[in-house]
Amino acid sequence: MADVLTETVLPEDLKRFEKIYHEQLYKNDVTPKAQFEYAWCLVRSKYPADIQKGIVLLEELYKTHEEGHRDYLYYLAIGTARLKEYSKALNYVRSFLAIEPGNQQVITLQQTIKKKMEKEGLVGMAMAGGVVLAVGAIVGVGMAIAHKVKS
Amino acid sequence: MDEDILTTLKILIIGESGVGKSSLLLRFTEDNFDPEQTLTIGVDFKTKKLTIDGNTVKLAIWDTAGQERFRTLTPSYYRDAQGAILVFDVSNHASFAKLETWLNELDTYSTKSNIVKMIVGNKIDVKNREVSREEAMKFARKHQTLYIEASAKTRDGVQTAFEELVQKVIQTPALWESYAGDNIHIGEKGHPPQSGCGSYCSLV
Repeated sequence: MADVLTETVLPEDLKRFEKIYHEQLYKNDVTPKAQFEYAWCLVRSKYPADIQKGIVLLEELYKTHEEGHRDYLYYLAIGTARLKEYSKALNYVRSFLAIEPGNQQVITLQQTIKKKMEKEGLVGMAMAGGVVLAVGAIVGVGMAIAHKVKS
Repeated sequence: MDEDILTTLKILIIGESGVGKSSLLLRFTEDNFDPEQTLTIGVDFKTKKLTIDGNTVKLAIWDTAGQERFRTLTPSYYRDAQGAILVFDVSNHASFAKLETWLNELDTYSTKSNIVKMIVGNKIDVKNREVSREEAMKFARKHQTLYIEASAKTRDGVQTAFEELVQKVIQTPALWESYAGDNIHIGEKGHPPQSGCGSYCSLV
């Protein structure tokens, strides 16, 4: 089931907000609203290149538009987590919680990211474990053969 | 295990900023209340299992930000929702007057025409009430929605609100039966468990 890290933007939404952003960009007059809405769509895309682009737009907003800081931090955390850049994502979460320590929405996001890391970490460990076992088996067979040859 | 879950339902919570949408959700999912509940950013998400009349359903609840700045993007989350909770604050008449707009928005963007709607009058613990029960019920009747009064702070009505909404959705199979295919196993009780290991065993 989809959650905040897996739900994806509708292609028509992405297109709609992309168009508004580009029209403003063409006139050299991009509003923070248009940039944020486009970035919000991008970080929810299924394509990593879109997410990356969304992160760049959000970083830019973060530097230039103080009013929306919490929104930008939150979606930066979501974007980086979707790219599996978990330590970066957790850094954004930490910066957010330094300002609003009790924010339930962000605490939940932090837990979701950590759970994801754990799950993927376990998969990695299991694979490594499998390799060790396989190597062990080969060594074992080798030793058995060597033993047989000797005797 | 997921085997006894009838279906997963998508539920929306919408309404003006500050009426208590996230507080109702926090009370329902974690039986908790945060007097300093902060403004929701964009859209938040929580899940909860609920058993009604012997049927267990999983609720995927999308809690939308009420602030104007998010208004353009939140309607894309209305898609495929089977139930919607429209919240207003009984001590703030303006939040009640805005329900008409929220209902229109729902009609415009929801993809299921028979989506179950429930209006929740929140903050009934507050003393200076501006919207009477009668006025709200009259409005709900006119728009054919369910109506419940609640207080996320004192717990009053919260569980009932979600239960009644879900009950109505379950009673409308057209809303969810296409989703249920994967989960219903008629006459196949007692699947033998697939050995004790998870998904990693095949590697060894």
